[in-house]
Formats: sequence, C-alpha cells, structure tokens
Amino acid sequence: MRNPPALEQLVESLRCLPGVGPKSALRMAYHLLQRDRSGANGLAQALHNALQVVTHCSLCNTFSEDIVCPLCAADNRDPTLLCVVEMPTDLMMLEQTRVFQGRYFVLMGKLSPLDGIGPKEIHLEKLLKRAQDGVVEEVVLATNYTVEGEATAHYISELLRSRGLKVSRIARGLPMGGEIEHVDSGTLAQALMERRSVR
Amino acid sequence: MAVLHKQDNQPVYVLHTYPFKETSLVVELFSRDFGRVAAVAKGARRPRSAMRGMLQSFQPLLATWSGKAELKTLHSLEWGSGLLLLQGDALMCGFYMNELLLRLLPREDSHDALFAYYGDTLRTLSQNAEHATSLRRFELRMLQEMGYAVPLLNDERDQPIEAERIYEYVAERGASTGVTPLPAANRVQLRGKTLLDMARDDYADSQTQQQSKQLMRMLLAHYLGDKPLHTRQLLIDLQGL
Ligand SMILES: [Zn+2]
Repeated sequence: MRNPPALEQLVESLRCLPGVGPKSALRMAYHLLQRDRSGANGLAQALHNALQVVTHCSLCNTFSEDIVCPLCAADNRDPTLLCVVEMPTDLMMLEQTRVFQGRYFVLMGKLSPLDGIGPKEIHLEKLLKRAQDGVVEEVVLATNYTVEGEATAHYISELLRSRGLKVSRIARGLPMGGEIEHVDSGTLAQALMERRSVR
Repeated sequence: MAVLHKQDNQPVYVLHTYPFKETSLVVELFSRDFGRVAAVAKGARRPRSAMRGMLQSFQPLLATWSGKAELKTLHSLEWGSGLLLLQGDALMCGFYMNELLLRLLPREDSHDALFAYYGDTLRTLSQNAEHATSLRRFELRMLQEMGYAVPLLNDERDQPIEAERIYEYVAERGASTGVTPLPAANRVQLRGKTLLDMARDDYADSQTQQQSKQLMRMLLAHYLGDKPLHTRQLLIDLQGL
C-alpha cells in the first residue's frame, strides 16, 4: 500500500535533516500527522517564519533577524578584539564564561578538506573584510581542537597575519580540576608539548 | 552469542569520518593488518561519547572492531604510542595523503609496508618543515606498494636510464627517448637524472624536486581519473583570497 502523495512528500522533505533516513522520516511524519497535529502546525509556521526573517548578521555572520545582530550592535564591547568561532553554539558557550569582552565572527563551519568544504563555504572573504575594518587589532581563534579546526585556525592566521593583524589561539591542555591520573593521554601529550614557562 | 570476526587492538589511523544516522559516525580506518576498513562508531556524535575525541586523523590508535560485512562495528579506540603533533601546512599534507589513500586504496587489502611508511611520513611532517620532499616520497612509495609500476632505472626498451638524457615519461609505459604522440597531460618531459635521483631517494637537486612533482602529479592524475582532489582545490581557493 502506498501513502497519499502529500504524506510521501512530507517524508521526502523530512529527509533533508541530517542523519534522518527513510524510516526515521516516516516515523516523524506519522507522529506529526497522527499524534501532534498542533505541534505540526506550530512547526510549519515557525519554519515558514524563520525562513522569512532569519538571515546572517552583516558583521559577525551569525543568525540574526536584523542586519546587525544585538551583540554586534551593543556599545559596551571591545571593538579591537575579534573572536572567531565555528558555530553559533560556540559563541554562546564563550559568552557564558563572561570572560571575553570583544566581538565575534561565526564561520558557520570549518575547513573540511576531504568533504570539499573550502574557504568560500566558511565565509573567509567576509571575515577578512570584517577583521580589516581598521578598528580590530587582535583576532582570537577559537575554532575547535580537531584536525579540521586546527587547519581552519592555521589558514585564517596566515591570511590575517599577512595583513598585519595580531592573531592568537585559545589555549588547550588539562581541564579545570583535571587530575593527571584521569586525563586521556592525547590531552596530556598536548599539554606537555605546549607547556609554558612559569612567570 | 559469540561475536564474529572480532579484531582486537589493531594499529590504525583514522583517514576520515562522516555522519551516519542520527548519532553515529562511519569511520574510514587505515589498519596495518587489514588495510582500509570502514566501521560504524555507534553514538560517536553524542556529547559524552568516549570515542568522540579520539576519532582524530594523524594519530596512531588501537581499534577493536567486529563484523563480517563491508561495514564493521567499532567497539573501542585507544591512543597508540607516540602521539603526533601536526601543525600548519603539515595538516594539509596529512589531509592530502588521506585523500589519496581513500581514493586509491581498495578496501580490506593489507599493505603493512605502506602503513609503516604512512606513519613515518606523518612523523617527518610533524618534525620537519621540508614537506614537499616527504610528499614526493610518499606518493611514489604508495603507488609502488599498491602495485603500480613506476620504472625509474630503465627506459621502456629496457635500456638503463642515462642521467644527461631527456626522456618522455608516460603512465604505465615509463620513460622513452622518442616523442610520444599523446596529449601533454599524459606525459612529462624530464631528465634521466630526475628518475635516477628518485630511485636513490635523493631530492636535493632543485630540478629533481620540480620534475618529480610534475611526474607524480601526472601519474596520480592517471590513476585517480577525472575527479579532482578536494585538498588540491582547497589550496588553490585559499591562494585566491
Ligand atoms: Zn553580529
């Protein structure tokens, strides 16, 4: 037995979500149409609305409803410091620390050479323009400590340093409260290789 | 129930990972004893997955997996000995080697000598800034280990290569002294000395460096087919910024 065409189309559409195969998509579609029609309605409207109003901040590239997002528009942030992160969730985590008072740039990804994700996909041209606004003095690279995040940080730093900007990278090593006995040997090896002199 | 075909603590490197279902990853491993193996790391995309932080390329790891089908199940990973720190351009060299292996190495075809050489190359890349020579050596060694003939000492008529002579090198055929009626993309003109230097693993001469690069690029293009390498394109795009 075949499902009605509109249901088939919904299943097909749900499959655009990452990690959702035909079976999960069918399960979701049944759930939305059978168990939670009001939830489904809310989802449809929210999706439609988000597509209409959400765009990227012209300065930091994160999701925003305004041309300049509230964080970039705030006047109590240090405009000489620019922190580069991979995703908006990284920005939120850094904001929670309340340690960083500068501004941000969100790449919306990372260089991923084997997946064909290059400089264009992570908006490097926009970052170069943003960092060279004449006010930014130091760029803090807070991409992940994965091989892709490291490669991303490396190439951004090459591009920015050749344009006369100061570039730094967030540190790595033992976590807060970390005990050597219980830390994984990868982290420990990095901490040893990147040890710093005691002031 | 006994777990079928379980392989314990096998020396491996992660070549690449990609998302699989909601929370898992498919991991492309290069293992010493089984060659290229694909395995599912179940739940590896969950925040607290034990494997999550270890699924990094360019690190010697020990992997335990099971399964008979093409896609295995990865049970555990541990750090192997001698952690490596690839930085800067060396990372892109690593991605390039991984892409070559993913494209050219058939699945489950053991190449323990190539595995050892891959590890040696990663170590060299992490310690030394002269990356081009490391890559030339790896490219040549990889093709040879995979069974592709790259004759360096004799020409196609089995005459010894002469250092001062100019040859045309053609994939699958080798060096010839005559002119081959082939498109320029399928042949490279070079000195005999370049071939002899490559055979002796000596890349000190700048002309050898340049000509060996052209030769390896032509040979790799021949075996890779039409689809270009992502890593090469990425470097070209970065140059354009
Ligand atoms: Zn903004």
